Amino acid sequence: MPRTPSRFFQFPWRSRAQIARDVDTELDFHLEMRVSELVAQGLSADDARKRAHDEFGDLEFTRSYCRNVDNASDRSVRTADRLDELRQDAAYALRTLRRSPGFAIVSIVTLALAIGANTAIFSVAQAVLLKPLPYAAPGSLVAFYEGHPKVPNQRLGLSAPNLADYTTQQHSLSGIASYYTRIATWRSGNSDPQIATVTSVTANMFDVLGVPAWRGRTFAAGEGADANSTKVVLSYQFWQTALGGDATIVGRTITVYNKPYDVIGIMPRGFTRGNNEAFWVPFDFADDLSRAAVTRKQHVYECLARIKPGITLQAAQADLAAISARLDADYPDINSDLRATLTPLREAMGRSVRDPVLLLLGAALLILLIACANLANVTLSRSMGRKTEMAVRAALGAGRGRLARQLLTESMILSIVGGACGVLLAIVGTRALLAVNPHVLPGVFEIGIDGRILLFSVAVSVGTGILFGFAPAISAARADLQTALKDRGRGGTGSRASERLRHMLVVAQVSLAVMLLIGAGLLVRSFREVSTVHLGYDPSNVMTAQLRVDGARYDSISAVNQFYDDVLGAIARTPGVVAAGASMAAPAQGKQFSTKFVEGAPPPTGTPPDIGYNMVRGDYFKALKIPMVAGRMFNATDTPNGPKVSIINESAAHAYFPNGNAVGSRVRIGPNPAADWVTIVGVVGDMRDAANWAAPVPSIYDNAAQETWWRSLSVVVRTSGDPMTVVPAIRAAVKAADPTLALRDVETLDEVIGVSLSARRFALGLAACFAILALILAAVGIYGVLAYSVNARTREFGVRLALGATGRDVMILVLRQGFGWSVAGLAIGIGGALAFGRLLASSLYGVSATDSTTYIAVVFGLLVVVLIACVVPASRATRVDPINSLRAE
Amino acid sequence: MTRSPAELLQGTVDILILRALAWEPMHGYAISRWLAARSDGVLAVEGAALYQALHRSERNKWVTASWGLSENNRKAKYYSLSTAGRARLQAESTVWRNYAAAVSKVLSPA
Repeated sequence: MPRTPSRFFQFPWRSRAQIARDVDTELDFHLEMRVSELVAQGLSADDARKRAHDEFGDLEFTRSYCRNVDNASDRSVRTADRLDELRQDAAYALRTLRRSPGFAIVSIVTLALAIGANTAIFSVAQAVLLKPLPYAAPGSLVAFYEGHPKVPNQRLGLSAPNLADYTTQQHSLSGIASYYTRIATWRSGNSDPQIATVTSVTANMFDVLGVPAWRGRTFAAGEGADANSTKVVLSYQFWQTALGGDATIVGRTITVYNKPYDVIGIMPRGFTRGNNEAFWVPFDFADDLSRAAVTRKQHVYECLARIKPGITLQAAQADLAAISARLDADYPDINSDLRATLTPLREAMGRSVRDPVLLLLGAALLILLIACANLANVTLSRSMGRKTEMAVRAALGAGRGRLARQLLTESMILSIVGGACGVLLAIVGTRALLAVNPHVLPGVFEIGIDGRILLFSVAVSVGTGILFGFAPAISAARADLQTALKDRGRGGTGSRASERLRHMLVVAQVSLAVMLLIGAGLLVRSFREVSTVHLGYDPSNVMTAQLRVDGARYDSISAVNQFYDDVLGAIARTPGVVAAGASMAAPAQGKQFSTKFVEGAPPPTGTPPDIGYNMVRGDYFKALKIPMVAGRMFNATDTPNGPKVSIINESAAHAYFPNGNAVGSRVRIGPNPAADWVTIVGVVGDMRDAANWAAPVPSIYDNAAQETWWRSLSVVVRTSGDPMTVVPAIRAAVKAADPTLALRDVETLDEVIGVSLSARRFALGLAACFAILALILAAVGIYGVLAYSVNARTREFGVRLALGATGRDVMILVLRQGFGWSVAGLAIGIGGALAFGRLLASSLYGVSATDSTTYIAVVFGLLVVVLIACVVPASRATRVDPINSLRAE
Repeated sequence: MTRSPAELLQGTVDILILRALAWEPMHGYAISRWLAARSDGVLAVEGAALYQALHRSERNKWVTASWGLSENNRKAKYYSLSTAGRARLQAESTVWRNYAAAVSKVLSPA
């Protein structure tokens, strides 16, 4: 690189004061020269001075002019020099890095993996924990529930009469809105009926959320009261996908529940109440309030509220709890011990994903720590080897600052390249993960890499690079010049202190990796337990679909029965179908609960125990291969007007009829003492019908042919071959029975279970990736330090071999070193895992946090990886040629 | 004695300085002496204009400066012509000579 020599002759940088002094000296010199010349010509000293000043012109102006010009040139010289140095440093750094590609690659890959993991998790965490919800002033929005103080985290919806009392008596909320979500059949014009998620909201919902319509308007107060004037507000998503973005739709009508609804507005893009609902319709409580005696115990409405400005969450909570206490006193048998609870809306919406996200954030942090240790280690090892170079540069006149800048430039280049790779990795990684697991996050959380996340990544990568790349390098470079030059060529292993530091870093790395591995191992074991648990039914070759009977013509029991008998009969007759049935709650999709009273048994004290509740019809149990343990299945003799019959599961039979007399006994379901007694006609095997990890609970199955108040049923069809092949037949059967009804969520049961496991699989996939990453990084760390130490001890090995040691002796020497670190790391890591394992306990199923199988597997796995990492440097040590290694000095 | 132009053009001072330094590196006072001697006392550059021009030229990298000892053993700032300054001097001299020739042509009696 050709360089002009000019800058070597320039003044070094000067301070402002120095510049001022220099200008004064220069001008004074001129004046004095002139004065002495004039004196020589015969003038008196005073006259000469006066004359010299007069001749000079404006002295003060010149003084300040020269100072300003000099300051400006000094500044530009400084900048130019700095830039020049930076260019020089960068070029030099690139050259050095190219000469040690191993170091560069290890550093960049380490950084990229750590930054990638952290960026990905941070982007999820920011969406779930930090990003404001798409509502106005989301900080003052709360979710409003009722719950028994004794039942942790119980969150019941509110009943209309209770809600009305809260609304009129409270002083701390500026608005309470309620909503409930369900499935509706809709069509536009003459199109085929379709099914969509619809949320019914009180008219004030959008005002409470503070979000105006994007087109048209939202509901006005009082809309929803009149059943004949029905309005609907569409979501942007639904408007785009289902209606093709037709801008003229506002003002027209769509048909919902077989009634025309006026489209009055479209909400902005991204607005959702949390279910990615298609549209919103208004409702009010008039009907519920007119039947308050019955509806007060129906806790069906989810609520959210906005706290008035200036009122704290605690104050609002206390205000509402006082009302709860009054309600409790007024209606002791219904509102027993129910208390209002307010939860910040974000917390309520992100509750299900908060813990896994925090867990993964912790795991990503561990990765970062391991990466830091790795970086520090490779930098330390490398700067030992560069001691001579640094000393020579210092001897040639490079100041400490200059050397520091040089090393800093190197770290920055590595950090920036590593960070950029990491961000790329994170973008690709999160996209891929979310594409594989689309159901992982509640709809309201949108994940993306934005400016804030980029800033985070840049800060982390540069911080990591400087702290763990630059700091060790500079401390190593601060070596004593003389010693370093004297040691030249001998390549000593560095000072005892820095050696100990490097070994400690390896131990730390191994222990962190062990902790991550054990955590991930426990999650893997737990996932295996969950996915292979004995479900009590056979989900393979089963098709499910949601079906809903809508409209006034299904108000009669016989019409509903006619429809379902037709549909299930037609499906059952289809070739390839083994059995077809239907139930209120689909398998693996949650569970309803009710209370039960056994005839003849003493009435329970306190709150009656819950019993799982479902309604079934057709060959439901046969379709799921649930065995009949005692009694019989429902049959044609169980008519709507005949005696009510039920089937219970084994758990219920054991719990409530320990004498084995379940069949033939009678029970009453629900709190209403006037309800009919139902006769138990059969007992079936237990099944896990809520989620894989929820153990079976005592449950009762009512006969859906006798109770038709529930409008949606989920059809369950077992086939002999691929279940997807019977989908057209199912559709045809529904169309033949009623062409206005649609099927929704047509999927195999395996898929349904897969979705219910997807959040776990997502967290598990990430945790496993992190653990493997940690293992790789730790292995690289051990390898790097060991390889360096073998290199530095070549001479020692040469001497040992020359004195009669065998290659095996030397190899054992090296292996012992590597394994020594690993065993120390293992011990610390296992200690850490035992200490922190409790944090995982809530995410585990079927495995204890101290599961010995996992621990043993991790120990063996780690030792194998360590062995691999040690073998290469160890075998290199045995190949040391004693003659050459001694002559190399 | 011939009257000197009351105010020398700024650019003129710059080029005169460069010319002086093309002779040899010198300090500001020496430059003013040299100019006076070469022009037989006609071009008496004012100190103010001289030093402003010197520092300007230094900023423009036409001259470089270093501290040295003067003839009478005083600390003095010596200026010398840089490569860029030499090029500048050549270019400006040509412009100036053409200009001067044109002016004297116009002023000369017909």
